[in-house]
Amino acid sequence: MKKKIIACLLTAAMTTSMFSVGVQAADKGTDRTFKILSMWAEDDADSGQILKDVTEQYIQEVNPDFKYEFELVSVDNLKQKIATLAASNDLPDVFAYDAGTPLIELIDAGLVLDVGAKLNELGIYDKVDPSAVDFLTGLTGTDTLYDLPLGQNIEGFWYNKAAFEKAGIENPPATWDEMLEDADKLMEAGIQPFVTGGADSWPATRLINAYVIRKLGPDAMDKAYKGEIKYTDAGIVEGAKMLQDMVEKGYFGEGATTVDQNTAANMVLSGEAAMIYNGSWYVSQLQADTNPAGEDGIGFFNIPTVEGGVGKAGEYSMNCGTILAFSNDKYDEVTEGWLKYFVENVADYAINNQGTLRGYVIDQYPDDLSSYSKMVAEEIEKSTGSATWFEAAMDSELSQIAQENVQSLMNGDVTPEEYCESLQDIWDAAH
Amino acid sequence: MKLKTVLSNKKAIFFFVFPGFVLYTVFVVLPVVWSGYYTFFDGIPGIKWEFCGFDNFVRLFHDKNFVKALIVNLKYIGIVTAGQVCIGLLLALMFKYWLKHFATLVRTIVFFPVVLPTVAVGQLFAKIYEIQPHYGLLNSLLKAVGLQDLVQPWIGQASTALGSLSAMDIWTAVGFYAIIFYGALLDIPEDVVEAARIDGCRPLQLFRMVLAPLLRPMIITCVIFSFTGTVKMFESALALTGGGPGGATKSLSIYMYDTAFTYSKTGYGSVIALFIFLVCVVGSRIIRSFEKPID
Repeated sequence: MKKKIIACLLTAAMTTSMFSVGVQAADKGTDRTFKILSMWAEDDADSGQILKDVTEQYIQEVNPDFKYEFELVSVDNLKQKIATLAASNDLPDVFAYDAGTPLIELIDAGLVLDVGAKLNELGIYDKVDPSAVDFLTGLTGTDTLYDLPLGQNIEGFWYNKAAFEKAGIENPPATWDEMLEDADKLMEAGIQPFVTGGADSWPATRLINAYVIRKLGPDAMDKAYKGEIKYTDAGIVEGAKMLQDMVEKGYFGEGATTVDQNTAANMVLSGEAAMIYNGSWYVSQLQADTNPAGEDGIGFFNIPTVEGGVGKAGEYSMNCGTILAFSNDKYDEVTEGWLKYFVENVADYAINNQGTLRGYVIDQYPDDLSSYSKMVAEEIEKSTGSATWFEAAMDSELSQIAQENVQSLMNGDVTPEEYCESLQDIWDAAH
Repeated sequence: MKLKTVLSNKKAIFFFVFPGFVLYTVFVVLPVVWSGYYTFFDGIPGIKWEFCGFDNFVRLFHDKNFVKALIVNLKYIGIVTAGQVCIGLLLALMFKYWLKHFATLVRTIVFFPVVLPTVAVGQLFAKIYEIQPHYGLLNSLLKAVGLQDLVQPWIGQASTALGSLSAMDIWTAVGFYAIIFYGALLDIPEDVVEAARIDGCRPLQLFRMVLAPLLRPMIITCVIFSFTGTVKMFESALALTGGGPGGATKSLSIYMYDTAFTYSKTGYGSVIALFIFLVCVVGSRIIRSFEKPID
């Protein structure tokens, strides 16, 4: 009896192991399933839709045998998921990830494909917009691309034209002082001058960043993380103080830390507030039929210059959104086919279907491009230099502390000096 | 008799216990041991993983943010446990001795929030406390009754955020405790209460001298329930305030989550998890020490 049981167990074990070997062998072949790990839903009318539709297009036009799996993971779980998969040596073929410091960790561990080299081999390196290449390689501190952009955004102030008119403001401000004067005029006219998604925190730190890059130059926050200047530098403290003062003066209305960025963005559309700092991803909201301000109701101006500051008016705060990275291990001809098609076609798909720029060279702009998309394209053309966002160079802990404490700063619970010291403390502990 | 035969059969015991034992070991004991092992490492498994000895334990004692989260958590435990148990008890007394009409309806309404998902409750209260772009229910009411001075960003400032969160959590769970106490009150023999009344007990005396001592075991059970529920304060804070503003509602669990999963410090996160476990054990032990031995 015992022997029988053992025999049964052994047979079962052998069958299972043979089966798993079979599966692995099939996995390596050309008919394997290509895995995409996304943080955007397939039908989000944004990056998720692009990933899915361009892949579907690839299947239709080029490779009908291509099989893929689209897995969605929430933003909060993305990093953890990738870490777990990396630990079990099972990174997806292509996955969404945070540009900058988090990606550097993966590059250092040798897990991410040098996608720049592959693009060169395929002869399509020039399909990626040069400014996006500069930007991404700058973030990773590498000579070659380790990630692909999925967005090309400029950031700045968006304003409700009707509100400006009502307050008697003719032109958007060019200097920070002018902007504050305009804010006073708006207050007098009974309009809330600014709104920010303080509940989400990141829109608030962007405002500090805006001031700092104009005061200390576009690479100020990079320098701080590298240790060349301190987070307690007078320029950064001044930026923090500027935000606190603006909140205290009531420019952001009551309870500035309770509004999320989506609500804030809608408030500018409906004229409940006049200005918001936001990125050009705002365009999808602007060109929607639901925009009460209409096709020409919202204007854009770049971050105003600060008196005595190093930053120039032509420099824009830019970002490439969350990026796409590729598994180093899994790269084979299946990935290559997809990569080539994606890089060659993503720009056209995005501009024609969504009116958005994704960091790839566009051969021809469509004739029916919305006025907002045109405006963004024109602004990008004007750019003479770029800066990153506040937390771009920071590691995750520093970034979280910067965002968490900015609410206390806005509420006046900490002084600007204390806010900057809290950042420096975390930096000191880590270095 | 048959059960005795079964229980004296060692093979039978093995047969019954083994599956449960394996499951429990794999899903409870092993992860606990594993996380104990993690406490000696720095980084995140799979990407950067280095042995660091007792560094993580030493760090715990110098970590300002940890102390801040601990204080927030202790305040929350105090306010919410007291609120849930006291108000639950008051409601139960109301159900039993005061409500004459619509008793079932009122009990259902009070119990209703218990079954609502936390995230939905968070969204609901975010609307109630809203100040911008429009006043929420609370601020509108205050304004309507002429208390304009009290209109404020309830969840947007450190001074009121924890209180607002606690109020929400008390509201959510109080029905549960009210029903438990109501059940316990029904168990108290009517003649005892009757006798006390004939002896001239006034309502307050009746509660203090008769009902409270009889309810004691149930009160302790409820305090333990509420305590263990509040020690792990996490989802309601995340849903309403996201731990903000500026960490004013950031609990130990949220801090542990951030440390382990956002800051990529799995080892240090495990140390904090261990600490939460200790708080649970010690806290429950202290509460149980109020139990009187049964004669």
